[in-house]
Amino acid sequence: MKLTEQQLSELAAELDQVKAGVMSQLGDKEARYIRRMLMTQRLSAISGRIFMVLGFITPWLWVLGVALLALAKILDNMEIGHNVLHGQYDWMNDPVLHSQRFEWDIACDAGSWKRTHNFEHHTYTNIIGKDRDFGYGLLRLSNDFRWRLRNLWQFVTYLLLSTLFQWGVSYHELAGERVFFGKKKPDRINSVSHTDLKKAFFGKGARQLFKDYVFFPLIAGPMWLWVLAGNLLANIIRNLWTSTVIFCGHFTADVHTFTQEQCEGESRGHWYYRQILGSSNFTGPRWFHILTGHLSCQIEHHLFPDMPALHYLTVAPQVQAIAKKYGIAYNSGSFLRQYATVVARIIRYSFPGGKVTTA
Amino acid sequence: MNKTISLCGQSLYRQFSLMLANQPKLGYYLHPLLNWHKPALHPDYHSARIVDFCWETDQMLSVWLEPASSWAGFTAGQHLLVTMLHQGRYISRSFSISSSSVVFARQKQIRISCRIQSQGEFTKALAAGIAELTHLSISDAMGDFVLEPKSDAALEQSIVMVAAGSGITPLWSMLSSLRCWTSPVVLFYCVKNAAQAAFLAELKLLAAKQPLFELQLIETETCGRLNLVQQLKAKAGFSLNNALYYLCGPAAMSRQYKEDLIQQGVPSTAIHAELFGLALTAAEGPLKQALFMQQGKVTTVEAAAGVTLLQAAEHRGLNPRFGCRIGVCYQCVCQKKSGQVLNLRTGQISGDGPEQIQLCISAAHSNLQIEL
Repeated sequence: MKLTEQQLSELAAELDQVKAGVMSQLGDKEARYIRRMLMTQRLSAISGRIFMVLGFITPWLWVLGVALLALAKILDNMEIGHNVLHGQYDWMNDPVLHSQRFEWDIACDAGSWKRTHNFEHHTYTNIIGKDRDFGYGLLRLSNDFRWRLRNLWQFVTYLLLSTLFQWGVSYHELAGERVFFGKKKPDRINSVSHTDLKKAFFGKGARQLFKDYVFFPLIAGPMWLWVLAGNLLANIIRNLWTSTVIFCGHFTADVHTFTQEQCEGESRGHWYYRQILGSSNFTGPRWFHILTGHLSCQIEHHLFPDMPALHYLTVAPQVQAIAKKYGIAYNSGSFLRQYATVVARIIRYSFPGGKVTTA
Repeated sequence: MNKTISLCGQSLYRQFSLMLANQPKLGYYLHPLLNWHKPALHPDYHSARIVDFCWETDQMLSVWLEPASSWAGFTAGQHLLVTMLHQGRYISRSFSISSSSVVFARQKQIRISCRIQSQGEFTKALAAGIAELTHLSISDAMGDFVLEPKSDAALEQSIVMVAAGSGITPLWSMLSSLRCWTSPVVLFYCVKNAAQAAFLAELKLLAAKQPLFELQLIETETCGRLNLVQQLKAKAGFSLNNALYYLCGPAAMSRQYKEDLIQQGVPSTAIHAELFGLALTAAEGPLKQALFMQQGKVTTVEAAAGVTLLQAAEHRGLNPRFGCRIGVCYQCVCQKKSGQVLNLRTGQISGDGPEQIQLCISAAHSNLQIEL
């Protein structure tokens, strides 16, 4: 099942070709798509906030408002924010859609996200000890990690993390840099000072809290409590959704992990190989893919993080065929099946032992 | 005091906008909504309606624009950045305004005149799309290539203009905006042949009407290059030192004439030059110069062909943001203000205008200006 360097470089060439096929065609279609997405997001955000206040007419309007705001937050987070921050639309040269300037509607500062996610997670995907996204330093998801007592209740930890997911994401870099607690790891090169990290964390967090729990309730007058509760609910819905999608992309049953030795000085082909084995897809209707920000095609996303996400579905069959040709497992299944294996994995590794998943 | 208040206000507005919309200004948030029917509008610039267009020569396209009321106007000779949406992406190029400021005052319209270049992405796209386009985006007018206001003592000073090819555009704008003629103006207009000379009929009309204006058409195809100093010395009653010079054309030409004039003792303050024409001038030799600007500090970096700009900058002691260094993570994206880069992963050569580039996979293809 191990591929030779020759095979790996052929694999890289084939995948590069798939990518080039899409990237050379980028133009009006993609631009129209993402602009329509922005418009939908703006419309549902604004109308959602208005409908919530109209809840005094009938509570159903409040429910509609919460749903619309949650939709707006999900689109902003997934199909727009996550993808734009990957630089998928940088070629459009549009300041509203540029990775360097984009900021999103979650607690995490975009700069911090780009360091921990775009750089750390996407470069070192599933390398134990390098990719802190594998378990987020909270969950034990394979026997590559020593069992500790706190793993016993890690399913509860998982539920809490999902509910507060945006704050987990926001705190992620500060946890890695040991800004508040713990001893700094010697091998971490930090490009940003602790002061700047704290400033970004508290600044962005405060703005988000102020908006949803002070500003909008305040201008809602007598409806303030409804608006406050609605905003809280919309944020929680978005948190649960993004967390679930992301867990289904990396922590399903058959996802592989890697050791640092395996990946030292790796070739581009090995990087591709690792991305396929370290990710998993799930299936569903078109609207469902959009709500996941096309992270339902996590494998394609990890192979081509800067390809506009709407193309993941079209290149998926080609990628699957290439994976099959080289005998690389292509992990895909229905959403429910994949999610069930995630839950099983979290519970299994709550207890000592289990499989070592390094390939 | 007022300045402090306005700065405070701006910073408050920025904070408010960041809080409410996660954007430095609310316009960015609302732009996709408000301009859904006009996707070509760039949120940083002013909208300009295309009123009309015509071909001045077979290679020069003139477009009449009606800028939105937010646009502040211009002084004859200035240029602006024109942005259009081409295949989903914003591309920009700078053009001198070729119409009179009098027309703008009266009709609120300006004209840009573009020489269509076969290698130029922007001009080619503009020529191909002009029939369907309804709007362009334009920046504020900028540049100091304008007629110097003369003091009373210098009213006698004559004006010498040299235009090469499309370099006529800002000079024609100056001439047609001039209301008060106090001294002689001579224009040397260098073109391949008369058929390539834009605004020739208008220039001839002006020469016939205005005794102080003299037009010298130099057809380089038949009579070769203009020898400026020689021509000026041959002019009766003309003193090289008592004149103001306005040169507009390709960089090499402007540089040459400027050197010649300075050699004749003309003070360099009397010479105004606008570099023009083909901007795709790759520097000679394999070494290119990249000017990195970081919070006002400019560092010159020697960039060899095939070496990434990130490496070159780091070698020079700069520390641009970086991440994966293989073109994946987009940590090192920054704004190129001018010049062309070669994408080492795709082999593509970029356009010449302002755009965002990934430092870690870009090499210099011409001299560059980059903002970190």
